Amino acid sequence: MTETRNMKRPMSPRRKCYAAGIGLALVVGAVLGAVMQRGETGDGLTIFSNAPLTPGFATGAAILWVVGMIVSLAIYHRAVDDHEERAYLWAGLAAWYTFTLSAPTWWVLHRAGIAPAPDAMLLFAGALAVNLIVWLWLKYR
Amino acid sequence: MNNKLKVLRAMRNWSQAELADRLDVSRQAVNAIETGKYDPSLPLAFKLARLFDMPIEEIFDDGHEGSDND
Repeated sequence: MTETRNMKRPMSPRRKCYAAGIGLALVVGAVLGAVMQRGETGDGLTIFSNAPLTPGFATGAAILWVVGMIVSLAIYHRAVDDHEERAYLWAGLAAWYTFTLSAPTWWVLHRAGIAPAPDAMLLFAGALAVNLIVWLWLKYR
Repeated sequence: MNNKLKVLRAMRNWSQAELADRLDVSRQAVNAIETGKYDPSLPLAFKLARLFDMPIEEIFDDGHEGSDND
């Protein structure tokens, strides 16, 4: 019984599936980010700018994002265990609340001339950051 | 919710990772259950009960005594 304690055990099908889902999401994100950074004009971090994109590039990036995320999320949710699913759900809720609070607030302040125009990607990045922090906290605390 | 998972695991000389493998969950899940930060789902609780060959209520304690009187 104890001789297996320190041995490297083979990955279960669930863990293999989990690793595949995470790996695919990382690959999609990395490819998209790298191509976006390299292929477009502009200085600095083009990926975070609102600079115009060519229609061909934008269409390809949109398709890669949607298909890649749907496939990797489907794999992830088939493989995730109870504990992580709970962390994921709370993290998603926290991200949604972040968006719910920030987007209308920013929009109404903009309409009064107090704030610049709302930036969709900044709102997305903020919600994603909250999502990641809550997920990491609940999974690894 | 209190539980005896750490004791039961130690009696079998299993690491958290080994128990996680036997339950097909992550090591973090086992750690979170042992430290009371996470209450497992009913299917996972049944899996634990089968693994340790014990009733669920002998592994987990919700702090209520004499539930038959409720």
